[in-house]
Amino acid sequence: MNFENKVIVICGASKGIGFNLAQTIDALGGTMVLHASSDEGIQKLKGTFEPNKHVFFQANFAEPTQLEQAWQEQIGSAQKVDGFVNCVGLRSRRPINLLKSELVLEVLSANFVSHLEMIRILTKKNFYNTGLSIVGISSIAAHSGGAGVTAYAASKAAMEAATRCLAKELHKKEIRLNTIVCGQIHTEAYDAFMETKTDSDQVLERQFMGLGKPQEVTDIILFLLGNQSRFITGASIPADGGYLV
Amino acid sequence: MTDQEKISLIEDTLEIEAGTLTPETELANIEEYDSMAKLSLIVLCDEEFGKKLTGEQIRAFKTVSDIITFLA
Ligand SMILES: NC(=O)c1ccc[n+]([C@@H]2O[C@H](COP(=O)([O-])OP(=O)(O)OC[C@H]3O[C@@H](n4cnc5c(N)ncnc54)[C@H](OP(=O)(O)O)[C@@H]3O)[C@@H](O)[C@H]2O)c1
Repeated sequence: MNFENKVIVICGASKGIGFNLAQTIDALGGTMVLHASSDEGIQKLKGTFEPNKHVFFQANFAEPTQLEQAWQEQIGSAQKVDGFVNCVGLRSRRPINLLKSELVLEVLSANFVSHLEMIRILTKKNFYNTGLSIVGISSIAAHSGGAGVTAYAASKAAMEAATRCLAKELHKKEIRLNTIVCGQIHTEAYDAFMETKTDSDQVLERQFMGLGKPQEVTDIILFLLGNQSRFITGASIPADGGYLV
Repeated sequence: MTDQEKISLIEDTLEIEAGTLTPETELANIEEYDSMAKLSLIVLCDEEFGKKLTGEQIRAFKTVSDIITFLA
């Protein structure tokens, strides 16, 4: 697959799946807009990827109303975009008695509202090239209930539902949108998450193909970005090692 | 914070009748002490005490007193 002369926006590019995707697209010759929220995240991206070729975007997705201005100030419409992949994910696990509405709003903002906001910004006239492909990273949590993951699961389900609507709406502009339904993938965030698990994990029992690798998700993202998937839109594509089977 | 205050907080977090727990109470004998209660305990440690409690540490707790010691 060739990404030369292609511009791909990757949000949440500083860790895990997003970072692996950025390394892969870099190797395939693509130009990227690389996003992270923290100073460390941006520093890591600037230290890894050629600043003369790629551009960097820092923004906190928990504050969707700030996104458009941040994008205009930092990126503008200099480069027309061919792909947008959103790997940002704010995790949250708590029982309903401790699930305060501020926290729910924060999770929904970071995982869902900002996803919509980025799509709104990027699908404006003159911001994208024909054939724009948008990929959101969802989770098995959106399909299979897990005690305590209420807010996170709802935010990912919202992303998938919105993707189906927008696929119909933006088809006229030749824009495709899909989501990837991730199972457990071995990233730093996964390790941190497992540390708070109190019961021995039945998770990997259900995911009978074992723990996934970031590259396995990257390969599906590349397919969805490229022309080979041109007949797929509005879909939730599993990358779950059999979890939901 | 006194031990009694900590016990009250734990009772509150686990939604157990006030005055039920003593330092000697065995966690295995508390009906309410399930996986969601353990998750609540993680949130309590983090938000009220700024302490990170891992799944492994939780599994090592045997009595209410072990939790109190951790919260010290
Ligand atoms: N790993 C899994 O097992 C798994 C399973 C199912 C779904 N997923 C989904 O896959 C995606 C990637 O997960 P991952 O484990 O590879 O990576 P991750 O460690 O969750 O990485 C998250 C990325 O998002 C950025 N980010 C975090 N908080 C942010 C915020 N408030 N605003 C903007 N950006 C923020 C981080 O940047 P900074 O470094 O600057 O904070 C980082 O680049 C997420 O959407 C996650 O929900 C993962």
